[in-house]
Amino acid sequence: MATVGNSTNIFWQESPIGRLERQKLLNQKGCVVWITGLSGSGKSTLAFSVNKELYSRGKLSYILDGDNLRHGLNKNLCFSAEDRTENIRRVGEVAKLFADAGLICIASLISPYRKDRDACRAMLPDSNFIEARLLVDARDPKGLYKLARAGKIKGFTGIDDPYEPPLNCEIEIKQKDGVCPTPNAMAGQVVSYLEEEGYLHF
Amino acid sequence: MEKVVAVAVGATRPAICSPSLAEVDFRTSVKMSGFFNVSRLRSLQPIKALEESATASVVQESAAISGNNLCQNSTVAKSTNILWHKNSVDKRDRQQLLQQKGCVIWITGLSGSGKSTLACALSQALHWRGKLTYILDGDNCRHGLNRDLSFKAEDRVENIRRIGEVAKLFADAGVICIACLISPYRKDRDACRSMLPEGDFIEVFMDVPLQVCEARDPKGLYKLAREGKVKGFTGIDDPYEPPLNCEIVLKQMGDDCPSPADMVETVVSYLDENGFLRA
Repeated sequence: MATVGNSTNIFWQESPIGRLERQKLLNQKGCVVWITGLSGSGKSTLAFSVNKELYSRGKLSYILDGDNLRHGLNKNLCFSAEDRTENIRRVGEVAKLFADAGLICIASLISPYRKDRDACRAMLPDSNFIEARLLVDARDPKGLYKLARAGKIKGFTGIDDPYEPPLNCEIEIKQKDGVCPTPNAMAGQVVSYLEEEGYLHF
Repeated sequence: MEKVVAVAVGATRPAICSPSLAEVDFRTSVKMSGFFNVSRLRSLQPIKALEESATASVVQESAAISGNNLCQNSTVAKSTNILWHKNSVDKRDRQQLLQQKGCVIWITGLSGSGKSTLACALSQALHWRGKLTYILDGDNCRHGLNRDLSFKAEDRVENIRRIGEVAKLFADAGVICIACLISPYRKDRDACRSMLPEGDFIEVFMDVPLQVCEARDPKGLYKLAREGKVKGFTGIDDPYEPPLNCEIVLKQMGDDCPSPADMVETVVSYLDENGFLRA
């Protein structure tokens, strides 16, 4: 029995089927691929491409997209600094559960503050947190930069709210000779990393 | 009179797994049927193989690259400018990969009614059949995702809402998600039911009398509650609202209770008959 967070009398329930058993069943190792970058940098595109590539190899992955989660789990959060932190914390906790379940969980959200991303990294055991940074020219696919520059959105990352790039991430996706890599090439970079690090087999 | 039944559980090889699971001889003792009454209050239509996921999505890659994304911006709940991103690998694909259908098994009942025991046994039985499950235990979630919540009424509601949302994500991922938490208020459980497509939310009620749960008192909480050291404890000074129309009731009658194996068999049969154990 313990006091945990804001609750007392909380126990930890053990199950006979754990992470290792599930990894053996799936023939892969669960982990979190955390894609961070400015709005319009291609995070969702990369997430979809990685997801597709992994599926084609018979691996089970799932995308936690920042925007999609704001339709469900995080629909009671806005974009204030505290709510951004809570948004990322919750996504981190869910990603941890998915990784524990044996899935390759692809989290794609701006996640602008280093402290919050590092907190998520600390949630995952055994270095199963793989941070992927997108260093490509941001486009304006949602028209948000235009609105932000017109002053119609406040606190927009990259305009009037900071983005703190990772200092030491596992994967960096960069432009080559000023050209943005194709989604397949970007996915290839991520999947190669997963393969080399042993996540694509038990 | 006890009857020993040997049940061979043949594990089918998952589509994505290289080593196959060995067949397991699973011996279990089964009490004669007079001791318990297991009933299913709902028989649902078999799940359609082409059922759409609530979060199904398709990407238009070229549109995203060129910047001509055709998605509409929207205001969702407390946030504006939220897009719905579409994905090319959907729930159906994952179900093909796993050879099962994602769903949520929501186990509700008083503290000490055997929810976690059932969840663990069920997870094990399904694993032996080559199926991927994941348990969301109320207590365990309060160590992580819900560590910021207390047991006040509004926090209990939020606790259940969050677990419902996460369970929905797992079901969309193709996982058979087993949620086990007291979840005492009908309204909150029904809200979770409505998050999922029809038929994917399988409510299991552990119908065990309070005095039996209290006699077990596996965590010593009833004792503390009776002494007034724990306030608002479900069953003692906070209500439990039993389901009115759930898929499975695991009822204890008389002085004895069904074995975990019997209860597991009921739930597994339900899943099998309703198509969840195949793509």
